[in-house]
Amino acid sequence: MLTVSVYRYHPELDKKPYMQDFQVDTGGKDLMVLDVLNMLKVQDSGLAYRRSCREGVCGSDGMNINGVNGLACITPLSACVKNNKLILRPLPALPVIRDLVIDMDQFYKQYEKVKPFLLNDTPAPAIERLQSPEEREKLDGLYECILCACCSTACPSFWWNPDKFIGPSGLLQAYRFLADSRDTATEERLADLDDPFSVFRCHGIMNCVTVCPKGLNPTKAIGHIRNMLLTRAT
Amino acid sequence: MSDKRPVNLDLGTFKHPLIAMVSICHRISGVVLFVGLVFLFCLFDTSLSGAAGFASAQDALQTSFVAQFITWGLLTSLGFHFSAGMKHLIMDVGVGEELDSANNAAKMVVGLTLILAVLAGVWVW
Repeated sequence: MLTVSVYRYHPELDKKPYMQDFQVDTGGKDLMVLDVLNMLKVQDSGLAYRRSCREGVCGSDGMNINGVNGLACITPLSACVKNNKLILRPLPALPVIRDLVIDMDQFYKQYEKVKPFLLNDTPAPAIERLQSPEEREKLDGLYECILCACCSTACPSFWWNPDKFIGPSGLLQAYRFLADSRDTATEERLADLDDPFSVFRCHGIMNCVTVCPKGLNPTKAIGHIRNMLLTRAT
Repeated sequence: MSDKRPVNLDLGTFKHPLIAMVSICHRISGVVLFVGLVFLFCLFDTSLSGAAGFASAQDALQTSFVAQFITWGLLTSLGFHFSAGMKHLIMDVGVGEELDSANNAAKMVVGLTLILAVLAGVWVW
């Protein structure tokens, strides 16, 4: 039997969140954390969590698993369970709506700020805007982000300034468009980021890289943005 | 219905990677150094007050365990703060921005601090 300790909070019934313990029979199998959650749902249909694709593509089931942010659907029990205990808490720092479901408003606001779309003021060509394979290669490791928020909610700089620091996820996207050869708004994008908080609150502790379920490296992208800002200022 | 949503920010429940611990300790050691300067200034002031003052400052550093311990603590903090700061500077240049290299750099900072702590201890005592 596996002991699963889950963060519970019902906005209409509870004044404060609390941890509830469940016993689950995994049959000795190395299940994914999401499978265990589905088994808990049978025991208590009131348990709330987000999930959709169940294969690490949609980014819905980001949560704090035994102290580390990750996607429940692609985290096997063997990678997180210690002493036969699984502890599930919502992603840190964002307001909890219910149980493991968080309000991602602040996270999306930061994403919106970086204008995550192609800006190009030149006339559109008849067919498409071409890129060389080398130019396209620069976007690898940037475009794969699924916006699960595991990184930003693992970042102390984002914990303390969620309204002012863009956060690793948003900055990875910011660099994705700064690095895009088809984007012509580099100067405006950099001007929007040029303040003490948006980029420079990153202190390179790499909690984002440690937890990213897609193996991306926001710290490196932030380093590139910082260099672009410094070059621009000199 | 509760109008204020709770936030899961109980730091004790999170796992903090070594790189993060080195970063927070970098700040703590900075504060320790800043506060410790008061001690050093006092000692410096005493040593400059005259021959008798100089002798008493020298005596404190040679016999008082508390003074020696504070000196050792400050030297160790300085060693840590310096090596972690160098790591930050090197990373700022764009070197070691991969998880593996950053982890190794953090381990090196801890290792170097331990060596410096021992050397500082040998020097003080």
